[in-house]
Amino acid sequence: MLFSRRLVFGLAMASSLAATLAGALAVPAMAEGPTEIDLFFPVPVDGKLARDMGTLIKEFNDGHPDIKATAVYTGSYDDTLIKTRAAIKAGKPPSAVIMSANFLLDMQIENELTNLDALIKADGTTKEQFLGQFFPALQGNAVINRSVYGVPFHNSTPLLYINADKAKEAGLDPAKPPQTWAELTDWAKKLTKREGDKVTQWGIAIPCAYDYCGWMMETLTMSNGGRYYNEEFGGEVYYDTPSMLGALSWWNDLVYKHKVHAPGATPGPAVSTSFISGNAAMMMLSTGSLTYVRDNAKFNYKVAFIPRNVRNAVPIGGASLIVPAGLEADKQKAAWTLIKWMTSPEKSAWWSRATGYFAPNMAAYKTPEMVDFLNKNPDAKTAVEQLDVAKPWFATYKTVPVRKTLEDEVMLVLNGKKQPKEALAAAQKAADETLKPYNAETSLKLP
Amino acid sequence: MSLAEPATLPVATSAAPRLHVPKRLVGRIKASLPAYLLLLPSLVFLVLFTYGAMGRVLIDALYQRATPKAPVRFVGLDNIAAVLADPAFSSAVVNNLVYAVGTAIPSIGLALLFALTLSRTHAVSSALRAALFLPVLIPMVAASALFMFIFLPNVGLLDYYIGRLLPVLPNWLGDPDIALYAIMIITIWKNAGYYMLFFLAGLQAVPEDVMEAAHLDGAGPYQRLRHIILPELKPTFLFVIVIAILNAVTQVDHVFVMTQGGPSNSTNLVLFYIYQQAVEHYDVGKASAATLLTLAALMGLTALSFRTMANREGGP
Repeated sequence: MLFSRRLVFGLAMASSLAATLAGALAVPAMAEGPTEIDLFFPVPVDGKLARDMGTLIKEFNDGHPDIKATAVYTGSYDDTLIKTRAAIKAGKPPSAVIMSANFLLDMQIENELTNLDALIKADGTTKEQFLGQFFPALQGNAVINRSVYGVPFHNSTPLLYINADKAKEAGLDPAKPPQTWAELTDWAKKLTKREGDKVTQWGIAIPCAYDYCGWMMETLTMSNGGRYYNEEFGGEVYYDTPSMLGALSWWNDLVYKHKVHAPGATPGPAVSTSFISGNAAMMMLSTGSLTYVRDNAKFNYKVAFIPRNVRNAVPIGGASLIVPAGLEADKQKAAWTLIKWMTSPEKSAWWSRATGYFAPNMAAYKTPEMVDFLNKNPDAKTAVEQLDVAKPWFATYKTVPVRKTLEDEVMLVLNGKKQPKEALAAAQKAADETLKPYNAETSLKLP
Repeated sequence: MSLAEPATLPVATSAAPRLHVPKRLVGRIKASLPAYLLLLPSLVFLVLFTYGAMGRVLIDALYQRATPKAPVRFVGLDNIAAVLADPAFSSAVVNNLVYAVGTAIPSIGLALLFALTLSRTHAVSSALRAALFLPVLIPMVAASALFMFIFLPNVGLLDYYIGRLLPVLPNWLGDPDIALYAIMIITIWKNAGYYMLFFLAGLQAVPEDVMEAAHLDGAGPYQRLRHIILPELKPTFLFVIVIAILNAVTQVDHVFVMTQGGPSNSTNLVLFYIYQQAVEHYDVGKASAATLLTLAALMGLTALSFRTMANREGGP
């Protein structure tokens, strides 16, 4: 008797489990009513963004009764790529994703993106008209082989942040920030304070951690006249070149010759904390940190363009909206409606004010709220003005490992373990090795 | 279930000894059928989420594509050979060995010390035990975020206190010579309290009468530790060592949060290498091959240590 009672109980447990499982699997059956779509979104800077995204999506759903969009938080930019790829592999891709702008090329090579040309054409607009809404600098990362694969959503550029109080103290005029590397070196020397051998205040801090380090190397290389990578073809990077050698040598000199930059690789949060606490008098950091600095700096600060050695040029950063491959037509259409709504001037401007990124849609800056905001926060204007000289973010086949080959070597240089020349030669060799399979089926596949 | 069985079965067998073997077998199956049925739900989930995944890894490890657009094809052991030839993998293995030894020994030593000091229960020792156990309760990711600020160069808590003593402040996480040790400190801090629990439990098993006898015979504290307590703790030691090594391979949250394997791969551990292959390189074949190698090493290690343990326990 005891057995059978236990048996019944066990079977009941098993069947209830099975029922739950079946129930869970049966949910995504055909549903009448609004088209349900998921939007994957990362939070690269701080937690407040998640709340803002909720507000935005709620407003969209209220205005579009035939679509029910759900915002799904997916972690960092890298995590978002992982989760999107996992969902595509499982056959249930999200309808739209806010994707780091330099991952698009890699995804396109892997056939994971929907070509948006047809959707643009169906709206009765041309590609030129559609792209014309956005700052020209942002188009490079959204267009691949002359087809549109992404819509710029929130973007950034690197900026030079200056502690204006400390500059005045050192007899420098913060209204005339350094414009060249020579001037910046001079400022950094004057802003470095020492007690014997020990530095109590660094002249400048430049971040170097995976992801940030590659972006800063692109920044320095571009302002030294270089390109970093081939914008037209994903199989080439230009690491072992004079322009990058000059960039890395200057960074190395700031650390070991002029001794105005702390040795070692310092991640972004450490750099901003160092600046806020007054330990570093200047820093190079993303415009995405502007809101953080504005809220936390207890001193007057000033932002300026990244100084040049050869020319003024910076890469963009940030994210684009993409539509993964393999979606049903109705979901694709609903996602497209959402994307167009999110990148419209009003929403773009609202998101920019909420987050500190700049709005990719040029018309956003003509909205009255934005004009007001810029008058109150002239520092946000500098970021937008620098867009005139901005260029695309490096994107190659296997962007992350190719970038990492350079970053590992730069870290060795900043730690005094290698000289710039040999470091760049090693980085170039490793990157070429990673790019080999792609070249084998493109540039080196001969008739 | 098994508790209820012996009560009925011996009676049945003694009534008909050896004559009805098939009947007995059927009876036995009948008797244990409910047990298997009860195990079935867990088995389904185990197969779905554990063995299924392992099988998939095994299959994935045998396939690779030559170029990005080429289809995947069977390559046999090529992926494993590629992993073994990858300098990043061998440096991850070396880092992991340094990390395993460098975290297991200090954290076990500290745990034993804590357990010996706090083995008697009273108000103060209970409070101290709770304090030492606290790091175990903090999730590794949260702990890493905390330590990131402690380790901040120039402005972090650590530099704030020891900065006055050193001529040049170290860049704890940004210097490839120091970063791995900085990571190890967190692991030791986090795990020592956990291992202390096992030693506290082990100490309960040290027979009181032997200790008393030793005391009466005039054995000093050191002699009692050396000749009674440590031998009695041997099984605990083996168990904790296995756990510590498994942790050294499977807990990489802090690497993920704090250094991403950097600077210049100096904190890259095997599990993070696998993550990089799967996610950054998008190379499932190589990631699976590295997973298989790691699994094999871990299983071998565990089997070896548990065999040693069984031998010791069975011995005199």
